[in-house]
Amino acid sequence: MAAREKYDEAQVIEQLHNQATCRAAFGKVIEHYSSQLYWQIRRMVIDHDDANDVLQNTFLKAWTNIDNFRGDAKLSTWLYKIAINESITFVNKKKVMNQLSIDDDESFLVNQLESDEWFDGDQAQINLQKAIAALPEKQRLVFNLRYYDEMKYDEMSEILGTSEGALKASYHHAVKKIEQYLGERE
Amino acid sequence: MKREDSTLLTKYGKNPGFKVPENYFEDFNKRMADMLPEVEITPVDVKPTMWQRVRPLIYMAAMFAGVWCMMTVFSHFTATGNLDGVHAVAEKLNDDKGNVDEFIMSGAVSDYDIMNYEDSVMMSNEESSEDNNY
Repeated sequence: MAAREKYDEAQVIEQLHNQATCRAAFGKVIEHYSSQLYWQIRRMVIDHDDANDVLQNTFLKAWTNIDNFRGDAKLSTWLYKIAINESITFVNKKKVMNQLSIDDDESFLVNQLESDEWFDGDQAQINLQKAIAALPEKQRLVFNLRYYDEMKYDEMSEILGTSEGALKASYHHAVKKIEQYLGERE
Repeated sequence: MKREDSTLLTKYGKNPGFKVPENYFEDFNKRMADMLPEVEITPVDVKPTMWQRVRPLIYMAAMFAGVWCMMTVFSHFTATGNLDGVHAVAEKLNDDKGNVDEFIMSGAVSDYDIMNYEDSVMMSNEESSEDNNY
């Protein structure tokens, strides 16, 4: 297997704005970000096939709007924003398909987890996913980004457009709610 | 400091139990790259802004101005010698926070400077009283 070429973000951004090199450069972007974006999306939509579709839409949207990306923000921030928006749109569409209100929580996503062939967690993991799914959308996002990705609050602030203080408070509330949810079911 | 999520981390860890098909990411990357439609890229306008063009000149002018100021101040002190004692005492007396005794004891001014200062104060008082008499 050929050794993977070192990823240089500044160089890639420069190549993205050149008609001759943009396609190859975007290939490098896909290679570099597909895994981290996939896991973020997967934690939002739960199902693997759904995550695959949302990831595909995320890259397509990024590619068709690449001309609007001027490098003012980090490429990762821009991609995360698109991925999160696509995930939220997808979950809301799925709620409508399941005849649920947009204001309902996302617990319905976790109901099929036990029979999902791409899930090998135990009952404790299912319970944790149910607790996370019961959180309000913003707290759920903050919890996933912080707990699983250990994303720094300043980076999260850029992606979600919320102050660091508010994000810290959101995370604190999310942890307390999850602990309470799990405590009640033990 | 204990993390607020340490209880969850200890009990549930960081693996949510999700998995993907074998070689999923390699296949996805290839499939995704192949399905990208044609896009038109507008070349980035690299024309510098006015500020970007004049910035080096302004920085250079500011640097020369700073050097000129330092040279002027330096040459002033070189020409006039040390601090003018009379003005130094006057400044110290006008400064509420200052301790004039300490200033005098430190040897920054001589007795002659103090006498000169007292004379100048007396003279200015006489002048102002004469003005008032008119």
